[in-house]
Amino acid sequence: MTSTPLAGQRPGDVAPGARPGPGPTANGHPPGPAAADHIGLPWYVLEDYRCFGCSPHNPHGIQLRFTHHGDGLRTVFRLGRAHESYPGVVHGGLLGVIADEIMGNLIVLRTGQIPFTTGMRLRYVLPVTVGGGYECTARVRDGGAQLIHTESEIREENGAVVATATASYRTVSLDAASDRMELDAAQVDRLRRALSAATTTAPTTGAPTVVAAKAPAAITDRPEESHVRVD
Amino acid sequence: MSVSTDELISEITGIVAEELGVPIDSVSPEADLRSVQGADSVKVLRVIARIERARDVELEDEEVFGASTVREVAEVLQRALTESAAV
Repeated sequence: MTSTPLAGQRPGDVAPGARPGPGPTANGHPPGPAAADHIGLPWYVLEDYRCFGCSPHNPHGIQLRFTHHGDGLRTVFRLGRAHESYPGVVHGGLLGVIADEIMGNLIVLRTGQIPFTTGMRLRYVLPVTVGGGYECTARVRDGGAQLIHTESEIREENGAVVATATASYRTVSLDAASDRMELDAAQVDRLRRALSAATTTAPTTGAPTVVAAKAPAAITDRPEESHVRVD
Repeated sequence: MSVSTDELISEITGIVAEELGVPIDSVSPEADLRSVQGADSVKVLRVIARIERARDVELEDEEVFGASTVREVAEVLQRALTESAAV
């Protein structure tokens, strides 16, 4: 039992859970407990970034927050009917989003680079219940100059595994990636500083060594073709 | 790295016993996984997920669902390990 209690939220009508923040959650529910232990992602310096997975500004997103978990990261979530597949069952594709999100942000925090998903594989074990509390953890398996391999696990509050994921990422420098993003020069500068600060503040004890890769031309030129492919 | 089928059977047997909550001695290599006391399809999938994580390998669904016994799962795993080592 490791999930954070979800203050002020009712099962079945909330989107994500345990997203402590300064204001109401995306669905108008009160924020959860203090966010002292949540990691400030580099993206937070962009005042209006809308990442579906981790932005606190996207009312349609799942607003994940992360904490350090050993060498990796952890997030807790509770999905509502907006993310339903069969009645009472969370859409399985969302689990891919969550796993991709936590693994990608882990690489961001470890390398200061921008990761693009080149492949991801999910093993679904058990349906995820609407309104149920879950946690997702991720760690780097190995990192080389070409690809970084990661793994993620989604568990029920009582610890039973409901899904596992493995993925590979190719990292791109911010300068290369920013060509494909709608960022002005000031935002790129802020983000560059935030990425640098994030990597220097990440825990180092026992953390796997990840070699930040220089982006090959093919990926740099056409990142959209390799992003978030779910096998 | 070469691992014998017997080693894999021993490893898988331990995982099966743990996931199903049964004594390790009660799981024979020829036991039908889905008929072991306490087993259901979800628990069998958990066994598969744990094997994949432990061995850093991805097993094909067709092979996983085609395997009934610990020995057959070990054979599926061994093929996957051999293939991944050859890449």
